Parts: sequence; C-alpha cells; structure tokens
Amino acid sequence: MALWEKLRPYAMVAPAILVFSLFFIYPIFYMIYLSLFEWNFISPVKTFVGLQNFIDLFQDEEFLQVLKNSFIYTFLTVTLTIGISLFLALWLNRTGIIYGIVQGAIFSPHIISLVSISLLWSWLMDPEYGLLNWVIGLFGFGKLQWLSHPDTALISLVIVAVWKGVGFNTLVFIAGLQSIPKDIYEAAALDQSKPWTTFYKITLPMLSPTIFFLVIICMLNSFQVFETIYIMTQGGPVNSTNTLVYYIYQYGFQFFKIGYASAAGVILLIILAILTILYFRLLSRRVHYG
Amino acid sequence: MPLKSADQLAPERGSDWLPPVATLNSVKVARFVIRVINGIGLTLLVLIFALPFAWMISTSFKTLPETMVFPPKWLPENLVWENFVRAWNTGPFLHYFMNSVIVAVGILCLQMLTVIPAAYAFARYQFRGSGFLFGMTMITLMIPAQLIFLPVYLQMSAWKLLDTYFALILPFASSAFGIFLLRQSFKQVPEELIEAARLDNAKEWQIILKIMVPMAKPVLVTFAMFSFIAHWNDYFWPLVMTTNDTVRTLPLGIAQIRHVEGIVTWNVLMAGNMILVMPILIVFFLAQRQIIRAFVYNGVK
Amino acid sequence: MSLRRDEGVAKIELKNVTKAFKNEVVIQEMNLTIQDGSFTVLVGPSGCGKSTTLRMIAGLEKQTSGDIWIGDKCVNDTPPGMRDVAMVFQNYALYPTMTVRENIEFGLKNRKVPKKEREALVKDICEIVGLTPYLDKKPHALSGGQRQRVALARAMVKKPKVFIFDEPLSNLDAKLRNQMRTELIQLHQRLGTTFVYVTHDQVEAMSMGDQIVVMNKGKIQQVDAPMKLYHDPENLFTAQFIGTPAMNIFHFREVEGLHVETEVEIGYFGFRPEHALLHPGYYTEGLAVEGEILTRESLGAENIYQVKAKMGTFFVKNFLAPLEQKKHVRVVVPYEHLYYFAPDGQRIRGIEVRARSLVAGGA
Repeated sequence: MALWEKLRPYAMVAPAILVFSLFFIYPIFYMIYLSLFEWNFISPVKTFVGLQNFIDLFQDEEFLQVLKNSFIYTFLTVTLTIGISLFLALWLNRTGIIYGIVQGAIFSPHIISLVSISLLWSWLMDPEYGLLNWVIGLFGFGKLQWLSHPDTALISLVIVAVWKGVGFNTLVFIAGLQSIPKDIYEAAALDQSKPWTTFYKITLPMLSPTIFFLVIICMLNSFQVFETIYIMTQGGPVNSTNTLVYYIYQYGFQFFKIGYASAAGVILLIILAILTILYFRLLSRRVHYG
Repeated sequence: MPLKSADQLAPERGSDWLPPVATLNSVKVARFVIRVINGIGLTLLVLIFALPFAWMISTSFKTLPETMVFPPKWLPENLVWENFVRAWNTGPFLHYFMNSVIVAVGILCLQMLTVIPAAYAFARYQFRGSGFLFGMTMITLMIPAQLIFLPVYLQMSAWKLLDTYFALILPFASSAFGIFLLRQSFKQVPEELIEAARLDNAKEWQIILKIMVPMAKPVLVTFAMFSFIAHWNDYFWPLVMTTNDTVRTLPLGIAQIRHVEGIVTWNVLMAGNMILVMPILIVFFLAQRQIIRAFVYNGVK
Repeated sequence: MSLRRDEGVAKIELKNVTKAFKNEVVIQEMNLTIQDGSFTVLVGPSGCGKSTTLRMIAGLEKQTSGDIWIGDKCVNDTPPGMRDVAMVFQNYALYPTMTVRENIEFGLKNRKVPKKEREALVKDICEIVGLTPYLDKKPHALSGGQRQRVALARAMVKKPKVFIFDEPLSNLDAKLRNQMRTELIQLHQRLGTTFVYVTHDQVEAMSMGDQIVVMNKGKIQQVDAPMKLYHDPENLFTAQFIGTPAMNIFHFREVEGLHVETEVEIGYFGFRPEHALLHPGYYTEGLAVEGEILTRESLGAENIYQVKAKMGTFFVKNFLAPLEQKKHVRVVVPYEHLYYFAPDGQRIRGIEVRARSLVAGGA
C-alpha cells in the first residue's frame, strides 16, 4: 500500500480529533489539574494545595446544599418528565388531525430557546401579576411566591423543566410504542390479557430501551442545568436553587476561586461518569431487546 | 309455528329484560361521555402549552401599567407596537442577529468539513487505533459544555481569544453526534457500490463527494437542523465567552433587556422575546411534521 | 458505432495465484488461462472461490501471491479502474442518487472524456440496450430488468477488454432470467470481447459458456467446453456437479456382477440417470440392476424415477415415455456409459468390461 493510502485515514480523522482533544479531552485534564491548586485567575502564581479544595467543599454547608439541590432537582425532573411523558404517550398514540395538533403543541417548547422559555416563565410566575397565580386561583388556590420563596423556588424550576421536556420525551415514547409489533398485542389478546397486565408485562419491557435512554438523557441534562437558574433565580433565594453548574460558575466567574470551582467541576464529572457507567451496566441487564 | 313479536317474548324472559334498543343506548352514552372527557383532557393539554405563548403575545402589546394588573387582563386597550421598537433598540440587535448568523453558520460549515471525512474514515477504513480514536470521539458525547466551560474559558483567556468568533465557533468545529450519525449512514452503503465506483476510475474524494454524501443527504439535513437550532439558541456558551458586544449573539441580547431599564418592564421584555421566538414558531408550524420526525427519530437510535 | 473491439489479444492468465484471508487459504496456486474472446464461466458451489477469483481479475481483491496478466500486461499493481475491465454486479450497484445517464457516464467523466464524445457514446449505448426513454430516471424508479440493463450499459460504454459478470441474473425472476441469458449470449457474439462469468447454477453455466471452469474449495476441477464436461468429466466432483439429476455414484465394491479388467484400483463408478434404461432391448450389453421404484416424477417431457436396489438408491431419467407404473424394474446401463473413478476421485479411463449378457447385478 502506498504511503499516502496508509496515512489517509489518519488525515481524515485528524481535524475532528484535534477539535475534540483541544476542547473536550484536554480541558477535563486541565480542570482536574486546577482542582489541586488555589488560584485567583489574576495572579500568575498557582498554589498547590492537593486535595484541600475537596475537603473544603465537603465541609462547606453551601456546597452540600448545592449537591442536595442538584439531586432533588434531578430526581423530581426525571420522574415527573418521564412519568408524565409515558402517560401522555399512551394517551396520544393515535393518528388524526387533532392528535397531530396536540403532539405538535406539546413539542413546541423543545425547539424554543431555553432563554426564551426562562424569560417567559419568569413572567408567568411573577408573584404579583403573573398568569400562573391567576390560573391556580381559578381552582381555588391563593397566590404563590413561586421563584421568590426558598420553599417553592426549586419546584418552580422543576415545573419549567418538565414543561419544556415533556413534549420531546412523549414523542420519542410514541415512536417507541409504534415500533412494537402489533401481533404481540394480538397474541396477548388471544391469551385474555387484561389491559394492565398487557401494559406491565409486554408494553413496558418492550419500551424499556427507550425508557432507559430517555431517563439517562434527562438525568444528564438535569445535572447540567444552568440557563434557567441564571436567568430566573440566580441561585436564590437563599441558595435554594443553587445547583452544581451554577455553583461552579459563581466561584469561577464571580468569586475567582478557580481551584475551588474546578474541584466542584471534578465532582460533577464524577457524578456524570457514574451515571453513564450505571446506564451501560443497567442497559445490559434489565433491558429487554425484542 | 308463527313467529313471535318482541312484546310477546318479553313476558317469557322476565320483567327486568330490556328491549335491545335501550341497551344500545347506554353503551352509546358511555362512549359519548368518554369522548367528551377525552376532548376536555386534550383541550386542557393544548392550553397548558398554548396559553403561555398566548400570554406572551398579549403582554408584548400592553403598556407597562396594563401589565401590573391582577387578575390579569387578556386584551390590551391598544396594540402597543412601540414595545417592539424599544426592545429592538435596547441593544445593537441587528449586530447580535448577524453574530448569531455568523456563529451558527460558521459552526455548521466547520462541522461539515470535519465530520464528513472522519465519519467516512471510521466507517470504511480499517486502520490501527481506529477503535481507540472512535471511542474517544464517543466519550466527548458525554462531556457537556457545562462541565468544561471553566477550563476552556481559561484557555481562551490565556490565548486572548475571548470576545472573538473563534471562542464561539472553534470548540464546536466538530461534532461527535454528527460523526456517529454519519458513520451509521456510510456503513449502510453497500460495498459493491464503492467497488463499482473504483472500477469507474473514481478517486477517493470523488467517491465521498459524489456517491456517499448524496446518499447520506437526509441524515446530513437532519444533523444540520439540529446543529443550527442548537447553536442559534445557545445562551450559555456565548455568555461565558463574551464580555462585550463584539460577538454577542441574539439570545444574550434578549436576556439583557431585563437589566436595561432598571425595573423589569415585562411588556418590552416579552416583545423582545417575541422577536426571538416567533420566527422559530412559524417555521415549526409550517414544517411541523418534518421537524418532529427529524428530532424524534434520531432520538430513537 | 462499432462495438467490435479491434484491439489485439485480451486473454487472461492467472499464474500460481494464491489468496489467503487471514489464516484461511481460499485459493491455492491457481493456474488458469482464459482465452481471448471466449465466454468463460466460473461455476461451483458457494464458497468455492469463484467470486474471489473474479474479483482478483478485476483488481478488487489483491492476490496473496502469484501473477495476473490481462493481455500482455501484468496487472498485479494496476488499480481496478485502470485494468480496462468492466464489471456487472449481482445487485447491479447502480449509483442511487444519479440518473441513468449520470450512472452510465460516471466512468467516462472520471477519465476526462470530452463532453461531445461522452454524449454520443451514452446515446448509442442506450439505443442498443433500449434505455433511451429512461435516461433521466433514477434507479429506484426502474424495474429489475431495467436496472440490469443500466448496469450492462455502464459496463459496455467503457469498451473494456474484459467483461466481468458476478452472478448478474440471480436476482431476476425465472422468465426474465431466461430472457437475459439469451441476450447476454447475443451480446457476446456481437461484441466479441472476453466475457468472464460467475454463477453457481450449472444449467446457466452449461447453456452460456463456451469454456467452463468448474471450481471446488478454491481448486480448479476441470476446464473444458460444456459438452466435454458432460461426456468426459475429469473427476468425481465434476461428474456429480454437471447434470440434473446428478450422476449416480457408488462405491465399486458395492456392485455385483461387474467384472473389469484393470490393474488400477477402482474406488467408485457411476452412470448418468439419462443413460439408465428401463426397457432395455434384449441385446443391450450392460450392467443390469434389479430394483424397486420408490418415487416417480413426470415433468412433462421427461420422467425421473428413484430406484432402490441392493447396491443403493439411484435416479433414472427418460424422455417422452409414459410414466412407468410397475414397482419392480430391471434397469440396464450400457457398459460404455459407465464411468470409473479412483479412490481419490480422479477419473479412470480406458477400462474394458468383459461383456456378460443378462447377468443379474443385484436383487
């Protein structure tokens, strides 16, 4: 083989690999490296502190609160989004103009930018004049503070996330439901299977790859949440909506504690890595492939 | 024996026997009720998603005092078109718009340049280390911008590349997702086709550009849509990488409206939001089917 | 447009060609000469190496060792596009995003043939294969037969020295297949170019080729004209491969009543179903076998019987005769229609059989 022919594949992948190495792989290592130092970004000196940043992090009440927020936010968002999407998928899995319109309606938030949605919901959730308070007033509830109160702020953000995410997940579920061969249902009908049994023993297992896929995507996205927090609550009130990425942003860009922020970043990395590994483990065990 | 009429049969069957007509009615009623409930449910569902947008439109035409009313009024007295003008003038919006275009298009072009050859190489060549390199590519799928923004920011700062198009475009100059999709597509091209092309004296680049790429067009179009929309809507990365208006993009411009006038002027803000949202919403309603198909069916790998 | 090549020799030679995939040797030291202008068919069961051989000639596979010559040039290092070889693939391999016209002129464009010449060539070829109304259509809008013609046109327009066909008819339905078979034969007569054709169907091979290469497990079993293969097989494999139903083969020691004069050890003997006589004449000299008819099939003009005898079960075929209803038959195979093979499968010729009349050969 000519020399050029041997080198050619490498030349073809080189640009992409270069981009990935420079902007994805290297930054990870750089971040891990920085987490072992104390640095305020301006001074040319970086002080080596070993694992001190990590120790400080786990002793910092604020960080522990942040971790707790992240997990609660993720847990709520994922369960609500996936649960509601599954329900909607079963309900809306029909053809017809009306169902087409409804599917389009629930999908529309997906392609709108997160900024727009955050701004819109900030207005909707305005404690004084927002539409949301008017709506719940119709059902007999009093006005809520939504984003302005530490007890309701995080859940408000969850509502926004679910509103944005439900459409996409529902449509993916519908696609998954439609890919289940019809004759399996016919066989079940002949076996006199009741609706709940059919769902539990047939639909659910056949949908399980899709479910796991969406759960993982949702989880990863939830841990990475930033825009909504930045625009709607800036982490408050009283740190009730401060989550990992926002925390990193604060300490890196506002407080200039680069090492500390990097350490928090490493923690995020570990969480994401564990989630990904869990996903692939679970995938091979519990998922049923028809 | 003469046939009996329904009435004649009735006494034989017992007094609680209903003639068939009534039984049919109760089933019909039940079905009707279910349909009504279903209809109500669907309407509520659509409202949950349509009302916020309707509210946004309504607000954008109000005067400020009109927004500070509870319970809220839906229809403003007059259509205050001025809100849009004010929103547009809060910042150099045309400049932001151009920046968004430059960034989104720039990213897309670079992605095409890096993704197509890489996908082809991974799909059709065997070379040492291909497994490792491909694995590395796939790992970047798990590395979101939110994880690496700090170190990349520090890098860019050190190279004095903040507030340049480079900072906004280069990190996204390639796409692992694109490579993954396109590789699948290329792998599905039968070997025979490429052999025929070789016998037809085609050089490698001709095979790629004239045969493989046209065959992968649907995938490429889908990917282009994904990429363009994602980077057009991106708020986070430009936020981190810019400190002034030089390369600032549209999402940042819109969000800034809040801070311009001191207090939050919801009407102007919503007008600005309309500018950002309406184009996409219109395109969506026109091409709904294709867009949904593209996004959803590529989610179902 | 003149289709006849007026160039010189385009015979193909494979000299000691070996092909190994990783650890498996697929073709071992093959020597083959394909005559210029012949219609040579490579035939054999799946996995025998015929497609691999074809692809090595085309340059799509590189041989592990040995030389390949096309014409007077050694093409070992010549890339496929430069070997002056055109190929028609089993699945046609048409470029799906291009129209018929673009498919055909793709190779010409790559060789920088000027536009005018290109257009003329394409036009002529299309008239010959009857594709003119489809020039601007894409492959997916064409039927199987039409796609086949496009593949042919694409190959022909290059005016190559050698045409290569890789099981081109196996994707067509039976009727179309017969039609295309005739057309290909006519095409060969018209062009006079060397055709190298691969198929697993021995009927197709026999009807089309003037030179047949029978292959098995990477080795050439026999190279000959169809009739010679039929009448004079070199070995057991060829004998059983050609002919439907296959030749009936028995271990020599199983037979009774066959006395041969020879010093060579005979492993097997056999006869073709069509040479076995159900109603022999009184004076027919041959091996007589008593047996029972197990099954009888009538295919219209021919009948096929499965007969069970002491030495084994075998097939008998006859033509234009009423279906034999008797159960018990006495079959006679004339001595001159018996074939003898050594234990290793090689054919033994020149065996004399002492004529013995009407001796029972097994009951």
